[in-house]
Amino acid sequence: MSASWSITDDVPSWGVALGLGLGALALVLLWFELRRGGRFGLWLFITGALATALLVLAALRPVRVVSRGSVVGPRVVVLLDESRRLELLDGDKSRRERALAALPEIAARYPEARIDVLGFGEGPLRKLSLSAGEDPEERLGRTTASDLASALSELLEETGERPESVVLLSDGRLTRPESGREQSTLAAEHGRLGAPLHVVSVADQNPKDASVRAVRTAGAAVAHQPLTLTIEVGCEGLSCGDIPLTVRELRHGTEPALLASGVATIREGQATVELKLTLDRAGDRILEVAITPPVGDTIPANDRRLLSFNVARERIRLLHVAGRPTYDVRALRMWLKSDEAVDVVAFFILRTNDDDTQTQSDDELALIPFPVDELFKSLPTFDAIVLQDIDAVRYGINPHLGRLAAYVEAGGGLIMVGGGSSFSAGGYASTAIERVLPVTLSDADQAVDGAEFVPRYTRAGSAAPLLGGVRDLFGAELPTMTGTNRVGPLRSGSVVMWEHPTLRAGGASMPVLALGEYGDGRTIALTVDGTHTLGFSQFALRAAGRGYGALWDGLLGWLMREPRYESVRADVGPCIAGRRATLKLVTLPGDPVKVTVEIIPLGPSTAPLRAVESTIDADGVAEVELGALPAGGYSARIRTGDGPATRHDFACEEGGAAWADSRPDPARLAAIAKASGGALVTSRAIQQLPAAEATVVASERHVSAWLPPWLLTLLAALALGAHWVLRRRSGLV
Amino acid sequence: MSLVLPRRGALAALAALLMTPRQTRAFGQVGAFQVRLLQTGSKPPEGLRLTGAERWGWELMRRTSAPARLLTKVVAADEPALFDEPFLMWSGEGAGAPLSAPERRGLAQFIQLGGVLVVDDWDPDGGAFSAYARRELAELLPESSPLPLRSDHVVYKTYYLVDRARGRVEGPKQIEAIVRGGYAQVLFLRHDLLGALARTRAGGWAFAVEPGGFMQREYAVRLAVNIAMYVLCSDYKDDQVHVAWLLRRGAPFSP
Repeated sequence: MSASWSITDDVPSWGVALGLGLGALALVLLWFELRRGGRFGLWLFITGALATALLVLAALRPVRVVSRGSVVGPRVVVLLDESRRLELLDGDKSRRERALAALPEIAARYPEARIDVLGFGEGPLRKLSLSAGEDPEERLGRTTASDLASALSELLEETGERPESVVLLSDGRLTRPESGREQSTLAAEHGRLGAPLHVVSVADQNPKDASVRAVRTAGAAVAHQPLTLTIEVGCEGLSCGDIPLTVRELRHGTEPALLASGVATIREGQATVELKLTLDRAGDRILEVAITPPVGDTIPANDRRLLSFNVARERIRLLHVAGRPTYDVRALRMWLKSDEAVDVVAFFILRTNDDDTQTQSDDELALIPFPVDELFKSLPTFDAIVLQDIDAVRYGINPHLGRLAAYVEAGGGLIMVGGGSSFSAGGYASTAIERVLPVTLSDADQAVDGAEFVPRYTRAGSAAPLLGGVRDLFGAELPTMTGTNRVGPLRSGSVVMWEHPTLRAGGASMPVLALGEYGDGRTIALTVDGTHTLGFSQFALRAAGRGYGALWDGLLGWLMREPRYESVRADVGPCIAGRRATLKLVTLPGDPVKVTVEIIPLGPSTAPLRAVESTIDADGVAEVELGALPAGGYSARIRTGDGPATRHDFACEEGGAAWADSRPDPARLAAIAKASGGALVTSRAIQQLPAAEATVVASERHVSAWLPPWLLTLLAALALGAHWVLRRRSGLV
Repeated sequence: MSLVLPRRGALAALAALLMTPRQTRAFGQVGAFQVRLLQTGSKPPEGLRLTGAERWGWELMRRTSAPARLLTKVVAADEPALFDEPFLMWSGEGAGAPLSAPERRGLAQFIQLGGVLVVDDWDPDGGAFSAYARRELAELLPESSPLPLRSDHVVYKTYYLVDRARGRVEGPKQIEAIVRGGYAQVLFLRHDLLGALARTRAGGWAFAVEPGGFMQREYAVRLAVNIAMYVLCSDYKDDQVHVAWLLRRGAPFSP
């Protein structure tokens, strides 16, 4: 219990000030009056002062406050760094083990305290219930970052009781506050928090380690444009010297491609190397940045980083090769040229050896030789290739078809458009390009079929976003085609968008428009030569000729993996080898749909590591558990319903960003403690932490008047009367 | 120059003979070039010049890799078949009747879809048809005026390197055109191009060229081939790779 006084209970502070001010003024005036001299001066002052004081007290009515309360132990908040970095060893124990071992010691240091253990790293603070009997390792998070600044901000925003002390358990290699900004960031937070931030260092030994500490780029990665990687390599406790460094791109179905290499010459424990490289393919690309560490490296997991680059495409560079000029060629060329985002390199065969130009010299002609060798040797510079009605044998393309298949395998896009010299009729059957196309070809079959027909949408074609533009314009209708190239059955994993209403291939309707994937690349087979009638014909008139652009927007967009033409959007968050990974899928809301996800390691083997089935719910969202994956690059091949597959490349790292710099940072911890008015101790000296004061909790409060107001008023009147009498006698009145 | 009918020419002629009246198109033929003659009013174009349209396709097949159909087709401006293909030839002699509203609508839609219209006067000296066609097209496309195509325009180099326009008559050196979206969509000739290509039943040339000479007719054929290639390939020969090559070769045109 505690008792105290208060000058008033119900008069506002301005009233208190006014009353005291008037009382003081009355005393001053009395003092000046009595200075002139006279009888009873002392008694006059005493009675005047007494009367004034009693009047003021009668107006303010002082009270006595009696509080009954209890004292509870202080609230102490322990901020435990949940970064995976704390899994690194410090001597014979991991930093995390040291942090967990410190918790009971903290509890012992503050026996009366109410201790909250909060995990911080990324996102909101997590309250950790580390009761006895449970394995705390299993309950802790595994974050990449260690964001102390956000953790303190969240602590400040808490309603309720503020802590008397905050204890930080970390190794100091924090993400935020940034190094050197501890004072500016934490001083203000400390002022608002009103509690010291004590720091317990859980590591003090630098491991013997060489690592890729950081990889930075200046600007975004753009296909075909040089990109500079700034790579920071660190080395501690080893014979470091020169450390070889390589950058490779992990690719689907083939060996990784070496993009750049260099040497990091270590000085004062670190080196920075700039490597210039060019990525030819847009979309998700997985780069491996790896060092060859010196002997004795104790943490091999951080010798390589697997980084996902979203390579943008500034423009599409497309090669359009046509065997003869037709209205179909015209339509495609005019559409390609109308698109500012497409750089077209076109070669049309305008003259063959059979043509009689009626000229004396080629100087009369505006013709150039078809640079077939030159073109097909520079395939990687193109994002997509359109082969339209061109005979592979006659025009010398045959020897380059292996190169063309390799180009697709490495991520290029290929469209074969129908015509009298396309597919089997163009000599492509039984060549390397056949295995790349989404349909099979055969020498034995009739190469073309000349009967008119109207292609028919398949179920997949009716739902595929890439044909959404055409469907919006014409519904399920398509124009009449005057024939088609004959192709064989669909290749496994490919999907048909349009099919022939009568012709059969392998027991199913013959594909007319089919999509496929091969290696890193995508291919499209369009077996007709009349899609230009979507742009110019009586049929096209219904949509003012916009049908052709709508079709090719979709085809080229799908080929180039434009997200708007993919069935789903996919994302795997940070993936750590050996830990459960989750693939998040988002598509348009609708009926629940089954989804199949195949996880294929990037590399020469294209065999799926595992296949997982799930369902996308009515909101268009699914979270697919992929299980634990070994370190490496992966392709998630996602197929929803009957639609074309979507691919998402991602990487799982063993060390990742959290392990990139394995050194503890005690200097940083000291700076944090200093900036926030706390103490720095090691995990072996927890008892040196400063004490925390107990918290008094008021539970009851009684207020009573010091004297009844009437009595104060009466006493004031009596004092005033006495003063008046004395004044009369002294002759002042 | 050889006048022997080459193998492709013979095949083309055979194809023309086999072409049925219903114009069933074999696979690979739907995109073939065909000279279609525009009919306005009630009177279809007639006369020997119609054979020039067949000859145009025949010469195209003989000299280039482009496929062509050899049957002359007349299509009215107000019939749906106008939109079957993106090329039309509007030629004649003397002023015709003003276009009807359906004809105007049909032609306007043809242009808007991206079709190419070549206007040619069978009587270039009189010029009445040219004036009539220009007047009608000016009302149809009021925002576009015909402009001369410079000598470096792609139509002069789509296949042959042509230094000027020539037909049955020498006519103006430059072709005039209404250019829409950077693309010359309406070409105005005053050279009687079909007259230069027209044949008699006996197999000779139907009209003498003026001022005359074997090469004038050859240049007229070359212009016809270039126009067909322009229709089929648009500005393909303006691509930088071609320009650079031709410049290296010292081609007789300026960029």
